[in-house]
Amino acid sequence: MFRLQGSKTLAVDLTGDAVKAKNGSMVAYDGQMTFKKMSGGGEGIRGMVTRRLTGEQMTMMEVKGQGTCYFADRASEINLVSLHGDKLYVEASNLLATDAGLRTGTTFTGLRGGTSGNGLFTTTVEGTGQAAIMSDGSAVVLRVTRQYPLVVDPGAYIAHQGSLQQHFQSGVNFRTLMGEGSGESFQIRFEGDGLVYVQPSERNTVGGDV
Amino acid sequence: MPFREINSKMVEATVVPGQKMYSQRGAMLAYRGDVSFTPNIQGGQGGLASMIGRRVANEATPLMTVEGSGTVMFGHGGHHIQVIGLSGDTLYVEADRLLAFDGTLQQGTMFMGSQGGVMGMVRGQVTGQGLFTTTLKGHGAVAVMAHGGVVELPITPGRPVHVDPQAYVAHHGDVRNKLSTALGWRDMVGRGSGEAFQLELSGNGAVYVQASEEKL
Repeated sequence: MFRLQGSKTLAVDLTGDAVKAKNGSMVAYDGQMTFKKMSGGGEGIRGMVTRRLTGEQMTMMEVKGQGTCYFADRASEINLVSLHGDKLYVEASNLLATDAGLRTGTTFTGLRGGTSGNGLFTTTVEGTGQAAIMSDGSAVVLRVTRQYPLVVDPGAYIAHQGSLQQHFQSGVNFRTLMGEGSGESFQIRFEGDGLVYVQPSERNTVGGDV
Repeated sequence: MPFREINSKMVEATVVPGQKMYSQRGAMLAYRGDVSFTPNIQGGQGGLASMIGRRVANEATPLMTVEGSGTVMFGHGGHHIQVIGLSGDTLYVEADRLLAFDGTLQQGTMFMGSQGGVMGMVRGQVTGQGLFTTTLKGHGAVAVMAHGGVVELPITPGRPVHVDPQAYVAHHGDVRNKLSTALGWRDMVGRGSGEAFQLELSGNGAVYVQASEEKL
């Protein structure tokens, strides 16, 4: 029921059911809709406290009704992700909308977060249904298999799904210390089986400066 | 249709002798042929009265007249451009979103209060669009700017469309618009969903919505 209208607008057809979306991201709708902010992202008291503590803040609203609702946010490109019981890891700021049936939560990402400018925690989306994630420029989906691990620039990473282990690797050498770095001193390495979403643009990161 | 879309951010217009075209000042990117650009102090058509009207209404954007024979390319600020064809109906658009339009179209200024009364005036204040808007009427084409891509949503009787005021670009046809509020106690205590104000458009026509909540 999620479909793209152009590459930057998400249209969701609702027939009395609900959808979770980023606060304030509705641009238009027809039919009857109600918008309600979900305190703490709808994860209960525990989820709310976790989000406050981890800084992985996410304000979501619940949209319910009959008709078609259109979502967009700052002209970002939108990518649809289908989940079949697996887990999607995405930055809270890159998550636009999810099916109401999907559970969201927070998880610790380790050292990676610090250099990617994302913080030490990330948001997880779990269950069966669809989610819409945003990227700056249209994202590419890269498949990771056991034989072929993938290395990604932390600033260009937006999301991943499947059973992947991530390691943080640095290529800091004496040239970097001399101020002659290539700007690619920090990378995230994905191993296992799954998909990684990469955007054709880099956030400002600590890693990108050295 | 005098406008040809080169890509999503540039349009090419054909100018023929004896046919004027108006465009936002400084929006020309390149031209071929013998074309002259004259700044238009009056900011559009009509006489002195229209000019004063626009100044008072704060709907005066610096426009220029494009005349001659050749082709002109327009673009501005990397914004997306949507070409809207008019066949006798009226387009309502904010003056600063206008990139270029045919000289055959009749330009006017409309008071928001005349549509929806007091609520129409409140609407202008809430959306930051002011109390007036520009209208274009007749047969011809208009190039309108928007941040991000534009989606055209049809409005049919009995099926009103609700639009986020910040994402609203323009509308045409026989459409009534009214500000609807969904203010609840949650908004009062700062727990709103960010969708407290909506424009309700009903009637017969189409509304253009941009994929962003940013103004130009």
